[in-house]
Amino acid sequence: MSAVTPRTGTMTRRPRWLTVVGVLGVVAMGFTVWLGLWVTPPDEFQGNLARLLYIHPAIATVALYWVGLVAAGGSLLYLWPRTRSLFWDRLAAASVEVGAVFAALTLITGALWGRPVWGVWWTWDARLTSTALLLLLEIGYLALRRVPAEPAIRARRCAVAALLIAIDIPIVHFSVDWWNTLHQGGTFIDPGFQIHASPSMSWTFLLGFIAFSLLFVWLLGVRYQVEVLQDAVGDQELEVSLSERWSEDTELVGAAASAPAPSTGGGAP
Amino acid sequence: MSYVDAGYSIALATLFVYAVTLVLRRRRWERALHMSEPGVEPEGAPAHGDPS
Repeated sequence: MSAVTPRTGTMTRRPRWLTVVGVLGVVAMGFTVWLGLWVTPPDEFQGNLARLLYIHPAIATVALYWVGLVAAGGSLLYLWPRTRSLFWDRLAAASVEVGAVFAALTLITGALWGRPVWGVWWTWDARLTSTALLLLLEIGYLALRRVPAEPAIRARRCAVAALLIAIDIPIVHFSVDWWNTLHQGGTFIDPGFQIHASPSMSWTFLLGFIAFSLLFVWLLGVRYQVEVLQDAVGDQELEVSLSERWSEDTELVGAAASAPAPSTGGGAP
Repeated sequence: MSYVDAGYSIALATLFVYAVTLVLRRRRWERALHMSEPGVEPEGAPAHGDPS
């Protein structure tokens, strides 16, 4: 299905692959919830609280790595003169908005796990603080995007902002190594890629990553389409108002040309 | 409600609401783009040549 604007030729397609990704994401999410809540056994130490770990790290992965990759990559490709296209700018903007939702969910699901396990909803731990900073920076990016400007100026401004935000991503990632944090480092998979969990838990964990990644792709695709449509409406309205202004000017010039010349004598003989 | 139930409910509900919002936004902008086409009459307006 597609929406076509015949005058400008702007087409905002709804590609079939995006629908397929969305459906697969929903199915994978359904299986993740079913396995995570009803099939997998309780953890030896955390009991049922470990079930939150089937969604929290997956959400955090999307918020941090997938969003960071698309936003920083898109912004770099926009700033690079040889690849400069509004496609990259729109993709980065779409990614940051979806990323803000996932960053907020990372903090919420983390707090819901931290309260019973750590005893606190929140602590000024390096991992938590840098993740909260990421969310704030993403909100700032979205505010910057709403500042009226020419599309090229807005795109350049936002690309620079996105690259500045991307500096926070390695800080979030390495925070558990650089500082002594309450948030643990990698516990599910050790540096030797040895998995420390039962097969049903491992598969559910992996499925959670796939489900949230597929949903991210679908949300990114739809948000990108919204961005394209917004720009197309803006262009269209600008074109209409310019043509109206042009026709008004033409009418004024025509009226002035056809008006009788003012008398210069003022009744003089 | 347990912490686990709350976590799953909040995550799934938030994503669902955000997805619905995005779909509605896309539909609204598609309509706006269609309406901004020159020569397109607003919905409910009499077509050209219709007897008034």
